[in-house]
Amino acid sequence: MKKKWISLMMCTAIIPSMLVGCGNSASSDTSTNNATTEGSKASDKKVEIRVMAYNAETTRATYLKLLEEKLPNIKVIFEFVALDNFNNVLNSQLQAGQGPDIIEVGGETRLLANAGYLMDLTGEEFPSKYADAGLAPYSVNGKVFATPLQSWYEGIFYNKAIFRDNGIQVPKTFDQFIQIQKDLLAKGTKPQTMGAQSWEPMMKQSIGLVNNDFYSKAENKGFDEKFNTGEVKLADAWLPAVEKWSSLITEGILTKDMLGLSYDQALDEFATGKAAMWESGPWAVNTIMEKNPNMELGMFPIPGSTEGPGWLIGGPGSALAINAKTSHKAEALEILALTATPEAQQALIKDNAGSSFLKGVEIDLGEIYKDSEEAFKAGNVYAPWTAAWISGNPVVEGYGKSLQEVLAGIKTPKQALEEADKVNDTMRESLK
Amino acid sequence: MITSKRLRSIAINLLYAIVGAMMLLPIYYLIVTTFKTQTEATISPLGLPKHLTFDNYINAFNAMNYPRALLNNVLITGSAVIVLILISSMAAYVIARSKKKIYKWMFSIFMVGLIIPFQIAIIPLYKIISSMHLMNTLPGVILINVFCINLPLSIFLFRGFINTVPIELEEAAAIDGYGTFRTFWSIIFPLLKPIVSTVAILDALAVWNDFLTPLLFLQDPNKAVLLQEVYKNVGPFSTNWTAFFPMLVLATLPLVIFYLIMQKSIIDGVVAGAVKG
Amino acid sequence: MNAKKRDRVFLFMILPAFIGFVLLFILPTIMSFAYSVTNWSVYKPNYKFIGLDNYVQLFTDTKNIAAIKHSVTYALVITLVQNSLAICFAVLLTRKSIMANMVKSIFFLPAVLSVLVVGFLFQYIMTSADYGLLNSIIRFFGGSPVNWLGNEKIALYSVLSTQVWQWTGWSMVIYIANLKSIDSSLYEAAEIDGASKSQSFRHISLPLLYPAASFNILMSLIGGLKVFDAVFAMTKGGPGYASETIMTTLIREGFNSGRTAYASAFAVVFFVIVFVISKIITFLLNKWEEKIS
Repeated sequence: MKKKWISLMMCTAIIPSMLVGCGNSASSDTSTNNATTEGSKASDKKVEIRVMAYNAETTRATYLKLLEEKLPNIKVIFEFVALDNFNNVLNSQLQAGQGPDIIEVGGETRLLANAGYLMDLTGEEFPSKYADAGLAPYSVNGKVFATPLQSWYEGIFYNKAIFRDNGIQVPKTFDQFIQIQKDLLAKGTKPQTMGAQSWEPMMKQSIGLVNNDFYSKAENKGFDEKFNTGEVKLADAWLPAVEKWSSLITEGILTKDMLGLSYDQALDEFATGKAAMWESGPWAVNTIMEKNPNMELGMFPIPGSTEGPGWLIGGPGSALAINAKTSHKAEALEILALTATPEAQQALIKDNAGSSFLKGVEIDLGEIYKDSEEAFKAGNVYAPWTAAWISGNPVVEGYGKSLQEVLAGIKTPKQALEEADKVNDTMRESLK
Repeated sequence: MITSKRLRSIAINLLYAIVGAMMLLPIYYLIVTTFKTQTEATISPLGLPKHLTFDNYINAFNAMNYPRALLNNVLITGSAVIVLILISSMAAYVIARSKKKIYKWMFSIFMVGLIIPFQIAIIPLYKIISSMHLMNTLPGVILINVFCINLPLSIFLFRGFINTVPIELEEAAAIDGYGTFRTFWSIIFPLLKPIVSTVAILDALAVWNDFLTPLLFLQDPNKAVLLQEVYKNVGPFSTNWTAFFPMLVLATLPLVIFYLIMQKSIIDGVVAGAVKG
Repeated sequence: MNAKKRDRVFLFMILPAFIGFVLLFILPTIMSFAYSVTNWSVYKPNYKFIGLDNYVQLFTDTKNIAAIKHSVTYALVITLVQNSLAICFAVLLTRKSIMANMVKSIFFLPAVLSVLVVGFLFQYIMTSADYGLLNSIIRFFGGSPVNWLGNEKIALYSVLSTQVWQWTGWSMVIYIANLKSIDSSLYEAAEIDGASKSQSFRHISLPLLYPAASFNILMSLIGGLKVFDAVFAMTKGGPGYASETIMTTLIREGFNSGRTAYASAFAVVFFVIVFVISKIITFLLNKWEEKIS
């Protein structure tokens, strides 16, 4: 019996290993090109362009279909790597002299550009079609290294039915924001849910108040540049706003058990009406409606200490850059040029709501975002770590993880900000 | 007397049943949930599903590109296991039988691999793999699985077992005029069957369940393995867990079926390696 | 003449494994160690020698020290818990009966699952959302729910317990085989001498479990120190830094932020830690072996 299965296993295993051998010998020239021989010979040779992205394929479906139609000479290989592994995978590839042809870039763009991994797009025609605000995060010394996809933003989703039933208005100031949550709490309704198992939501929501109370002031205009050089510290500048935000914790609105909730689980609580509010962005709308088709959904911006239009957290979500080492420069540029058309922008927005940075593209946001209209009009959408900081992601990760410790009761907001400053110093040091 | 003995055996069997059920609970939960809607799963997490619908599975099957991902898994695992058995049994034989210092020294070097996880050397490894033109190919992943992950333990287990094989057999073979190579393959290797199955099982499990190597070295979606397909669908956004659970089931199903069919060989195999080694 | 030929064949037999191993494992590892004294980063292709700066930085960061502590605690606790449970169940299940065999198979089953899948599954079982299975069960029996993955004091142990669930069966079958190999005349002799069941377990079974124990202990210890997948799938090192281990910190601090050289320094430290701990354990295990024989 035993003998039989071993020999059987051997046979079944040898066959595949031979197959692998054959498949490989036919195509081991360059890594970007090695699947061409597998395609049908009858069709004309398509150039394969590897696009590596941290937004899933479903959020780009219409756009990818458009590329396929409009660029028959190109076959896009869409490689999705979730954000928590994205830099790890991308960095390893780039450092080994490899990498995709087109990279979806975010906060690291300037670092990558400075290190020479990204192609300079300044001489091309299509970057000028975008508004400057969309290009700024991806430019170094006036040179453009990536062009933006649609913007992202996060605000506070709220369940209109719960608000109506409890006689609650959309808050105009941060104090009102706290008050309505205290009221809901007193009535036995969970005011806000949060997937705080991830370090992101607290980080974002607190920065929402920083946007209102700090960045909106004219005297703080140059803060981010100074932060990059280490002249100023978050622990001094942001402290009042973050401490104020942290009253959400001291008031018992954000609770420790949320540290055990994931993003999806929080979404689930909000969608099923177990919580009145949840902070997130447009990408969640479809899932919420799927889970609860009767949901009356709205989104309001994070209010500031004084009454105003409020602020959303966000900015140019991500952008497309071209690997400086690509062997298909022309085709990669073709894709970026096509992306800079209203048609492609609409296609992008269809699967992942946001607004476009392409000049002349108007996006109707729709009913859900009515309460945020004023904030949008005032241009009150900001996320310093993607828009302006050099080492944005590690800094906010350090800050966000420390906020989890604040919620757990083992750190103070000041310590959380000091941690972020420390990461910033370390990263700056490492780039010297 | 008889009744008390019987009572004891009933008590012990009851204990077995309780302990076994507790162990199985997470797996039972995983499986029943795949047949439920989210509301159903929320209200009665452990209850049986009201309707038996396979829609969740069909969707998962399609979203995962199941047949192709499965084929990739089989190709990678099958090839890696074969290569591992061939090269590690030979290497271990030399280490066990030769008195030369150099082989003891080689053995110590192999054993370094037991304690260092290869992830720490990922970037130089990237360079080497890409200079061999093996980036983004199944053979690349197979090589890493063989040499960077599973080789040291395989050699360790083979060596331990070969040490228990009496050397007289080889001496007799030498008298019969067998060469070293032939002695190994026709006399020693057949005696290694228990440890071959141990190594095959351990390595097959490790390779099949390896996630990091394909993630780092296989970018082409057509070459993705099952766990990559699962991972792709976790996504930071919009996961629907009753739709997600079937993916977990589908990703592990082939191995579980393999286990259920082979469980005696597998359990015996694991044991042979450890206790004799 | 014959010996020479034999040596040549030996060399030929060991070389495929050795060359591959040196090329794909030892070489990259050495290269990686060499980077640890430079300031190489993804974002700075031109690097230079900076001596031990990375190491100094590493040991002055309290987060890293905490991560090392977590890994060591994790490894020691999982080794202890998993092996004691495995021995208990092994004793319980050595008898020959259909039921015992079935339970044995069930115990082993989780070991064939991927750690990643187990992690994802337990994230739902242990969630603090109200459909979380574990808390539902606790509530059913009148207890109050526990924030398994979100409480900084227990998150690491929650992850650990899932791994105990997954691997205890594996260790157990090895102990069972070992128990079966113990000569039954030893027990009979003990019984004649009037030893109780627990006494004969303590004085006969336990010492003679050495072969299985040495294997199991080393495996779970090294596996525990290297833990990454389980933490990654369940808590991502959180809340805060409460369940960060050496490997998750290495990947986050090193690779995700592009600091390759720093990650390499971390790797060297990691190597030293694992090396020292496994040496200590092997030393203790050898003492045990001497005592038996």
